[in-house]
Amino acid sequence: MIAFTDIVGMDLAKQALMLLAVDPSLGGVVIPSTVGSGKSTLARAFADILPEGTPFVELPLNVTEDRLIGGVDLEATLASGVRVVQHGVLSKAHKGVLYVDSLSLLDSSAVSHIMDAMSRGVVLVEREGLSEVHPADFMLVGTYDPSDGEVRMGLLDRIGIIVPFTPVNDYRARKQIVNIVMGKRDEEDTQDELRMLRGLIDAAREQLQKVSMTNEQIKGLIQTAISLGVEGNRVDIFAIRAAIANAALSQRTEVDDEDLKLAMKLVLVPRATRMPEREPSPEEMAQEEPPPQEEEQPEQEGEDENAPPDETDSEADEEQKDTPDMIEELMMDAVETELPDNILNISLASKKKAKSGSRGEALNNKRGRFVRSQPGEIKSGKVALIPTLISAAPWQASRKAEQARKGIKTTAALIIGKEDVKIKRFRDKSGTLFIFMVDASGSMALNRMRQAKGAVSSLLQNAYVHRDQVSLISFRGKHAQVLLPPSQSVDRAKRELDVLPTGGGTPLASALLTGWETAKQARTKGITQIMFVMITDGRGNIPLGAAYDPAVTKAPKEDLEKEIEALALSIQADGIASIVVDTQMNYLSRGEAPKLAQKLGGRYFYLPNAKAEQIVEAALS
Amino acid sequence: MTQTAKAAKKTTSAKASATKEAKAKAPAEEKAVTEVKKPAAKKKSALAFPFTSIVGQEEMKLSLILNIIDPRIGGVLVMGHRGTGKSTTVRALAEVLPFIPRVKGDIYNRTVEQYIEMESGAKGASAIKPEDVKTELIPVPVVDLPLGATEDRVCGTIDIEKALTSGVKAFEPGLLAQSNRGFLYIDEVNLLDDHLVDVLLDVAASGKNVVEREGISIRHPARFVLVGSGNPEEGELRPQLLDRFGLHARIITINDVAKRVQIVKLRREYDEDPEAFMKKVTKEQQKLQKKIVAAQELLPQVTMDDAVLTDIAKLCMNLGIDGHRGELTITRTAHAFAAWEGDKEVTMKHVREIAGLCLRHRLRKDPLETVDAGEKIDRELGKVLGEAEAAA
Repeated sequence: MIAFTDIVGMDLAKQALMLLAVDPSLGGVVIPSTVGSGKSTLARAFADILPEGTPFVELPLNVTEDRLIGGVDLEATLASGVRVVQHGVLSKAHKGVLYVDSLSLLDSSAVSHIMDAMSRGVVLVEREGLSEVHPADFMLVGTYDPSDGEVRMGLLDRIGIIVPFTPVNDYRARKQIVNIVMGKRDEEDTQDELRMLRGLIDAAREQLQKVSMTNEQIKGLIQTAISLGVEGNRVDIFAIRAAIANAALSQRTEVDDEDLKLAMKLVLVPRATRMPEREPSPEEMAQEEPPPQEEEQPEQEGEDENAPPDETDSEADEEQKDTPDMIEELMMDAVETELPDNILNISLASKKKAKSGSRGEALNNKRGRFVRSQPGEIKSGKVALIPTLISAAPWQASRKAEQARKGIKTTAALIIGKEDVKIKRFRDKSGTLFIFMVDASGSMALNRMRQAKGAVSSLLQNAYVHRDQVSLISFRGKHAQVLLPPSQSVDRAKRELDVLPTGGGTPLASALLTGWETAKQARTKGITQIMFVMITDGRGNIPLGAAYDPAVTKAPKEDLEKEIEALALSIQADGIASIVVDTQMNYLSRGEAPKLAQKLGGRYFYLPNAKAEQIVEAALS
Repeated sequence: MTQTAKAAKKTTSAKASATKEAKAKAPAEEKAVTEVKKPAAKKKSALAFPFTSIVGQEEMKLSLILNIIDPRIGGVLVMGHRGTGKSTTVRALAEVLPFIPRVKGDIYNRTVEQYIEMESGAKGASAIKPEDVKTELIPVPVVDLPLGATEDRVCGTIDIEKALTSGVKAFEPGLLAQSNRGFLYIDEVNLLDDHLVDVLLDVAASGKNVVEREGISIRHPARFVLVGSGNPEEGELRPQLLDRFGLHARIITINDVAKRVQIVKLRREYDEDPEAFMKKVTKEQQKLQKKIVAAQELLPQVTMDDAVLTDIAKLCMNLGIDGHRGELTITRTAHAFAAWEGDKEVTMKHVREIAGLCLRHRLRKDPLETVDAGEKIDRELGKVLGEAEAAA
């Protein structure tokens, strides 16, 4: 076991964990880092610096709802005939640490339950006849590799500290880690160091109450949060707590610039949604609000809060100008040292607004991971045997008596009624397969291809989180061609998409057929949700036959339309969702694309100058 | 989490041993039942941050208050940014809610009339006289429905323990029973499991919860004000559920430094000593409660001119809103708002203030629409008002 003090490098992560040990109300620490950086080792070593006996619970990624929240202990209940309650993992971590490795891979329902517990400090157990409140006030420590996807923003909002991403490539640090693993360090030294560190943290805890912070400093942190476009008020409080905890660690009674800078670095900067500008006005900020879907856009009433209509507001404005440049410098300092690594995260965070939510992860009765059982018809799914038996058990005496009264003789050991039946609910993690079909014929082709490529790679950036896959089919000349088979790999997509021929006829029917075949193959691999994203003007002029017979080059218009219609209707009947993105200039359009969308039962978007993001948005909406 | 974890460990191990004990007990021993099962009453968790100390977010606060004044408005959906106090505000509501009378100890919070109607029907012969029924005053219940709730706990089910230990079939009411005549709150409502959404839609439409199981058939009133909150980025709400909510309040991050400093200060003061903080705001809390009660009492006297109703109908028509729920919600909400303002007559001034809340989620979604829903409503409202003025 490697001790906290033995770990070399990752100083910021260590500092973050120490702050959390001093003030657990910071909620937690998230450490994003690449594989092999020792982040999990560090997180597990966190227990070393906590008071003895603090619970440290590691959450398995495949945890069931029962185990997470708690519920009836089946075994004990069956054995005793009395309902025995089992506390869930969340409650077991009460007043201690809940550790999640690969936090970004945790399934979305588990994340929701953790979020809920963190905002309440308790778990409400309303399950299987139980109604209880279990304490669940814990610190969440999470590690993850950003290449696995990002952690849900809602969860991050409840965690005080996010350590800036730093890839480890410090040769000396690695060597020292190896030395430790090989047992080349003195155990006694380690114990002494740990004892000292624990003493330091104990002292800091006591110091916590004595640390004061000036109004200017509080205002400075809040102004920084605003300039960085940080959402919500919870984060403001975390930043203040982090600054105070750091002052307490140095046994100071006043917060100083270093504390503020650290709080910005660990709490505010990682949540930035925009680059700060010097002296932004409130009006500007209101405009810069990331504009999500129409219904969430700040409306008049909301914006009034930003304009300075009353006294308090104009006062605030003046104060803002009065604030010493010091804060701004601190902020720019914190930002500049940390932002370069994080800039990708920021753009991802705002892109992730992609209202995807639990898309691609629906509860169903057939496949996926077993999550819970619920009453249902035998035919509608797999029967959950034990819950069924349990629900039948209490009634055996009365049912047998009833049957005896009716004169029915039964030899069955158990009488199971329809209402006892519980079926299993599964969570399907297979995600959605987006099949892009791009019209590569004609003169606009180059532009369309470029947009499609952008959309494909943008979707892939987030694909892993939702288990989404993307496939790309181009159609030109005689027939359609699968350029990218269903894939989650960004690298692969890039390689395949680099060289793309364009020009020639428009074999639309062939594209539909090829897309349909790709969809069918994907179905056999367990992908249930499939969406066609067609980027075309909808004007096909090459018949299906051309793909097989070089002699066929054209067909009458009616025949072409019939082919397309038949295919589109079959695809719709097969349960495949579609959108048609029309890129043709309006004056050229003869309404073929809307007709295609209608036949496919899909939606139609008219985006003559479609940008990749617009296509992605349409596909995800 | 500020205290040492040692105490925590003690409680955890105590719990563990209690479970072990229970495991060891013989099935027939009834005592074990009382030990293991805790009464549902201990739900009252610690103090909640006071409603009157919540800075800003007027839209959400007003929506909640209007729903207290007239529960028929149909609840409110609060959607918006993370960490802006959505759930804090809803949970703070309990402290300022007025009291309602119910039949003493009734698990369904029924009124005397409801009680007599249901129970007389069940027993058939002897009618219950109102004077024989004892009543009590309880604060309007606020029930928290967690995401992980199972259907049997929501709707109620047969009490398994009673069945096991004494062979008696007894109904154990669920959260829907508890929330009758009160508020049912779902945080992260957009993440709620589909089958629970189905149950809620069903009950919300009929106002009744029906449970049939093992020869027992229970039908009890379940009229509640549905309050949901969530962050739109986490997922979309099912259209049927969206439509159920009377009002839709939106909440965004406050970008005013002074206000944000104030929020942080109040919160820190509260965290330091919640009880002292609550004491400090008692007067304000009571004042708010009184104002709500006054509005409730004024509500039956509030009237509305037919001309206003015509304008409301025009507004909904111009916005292309299907059905009549839009008009109905505006009318009710405007009445409640007038009562809240102490006015006895609803005017278009009142309508203007609440139209956005009532209609925002009822506009047809158009993927290519660039105009914000609130702006659109405002614009149409302006047109309707302009016409009205021109006519006058």
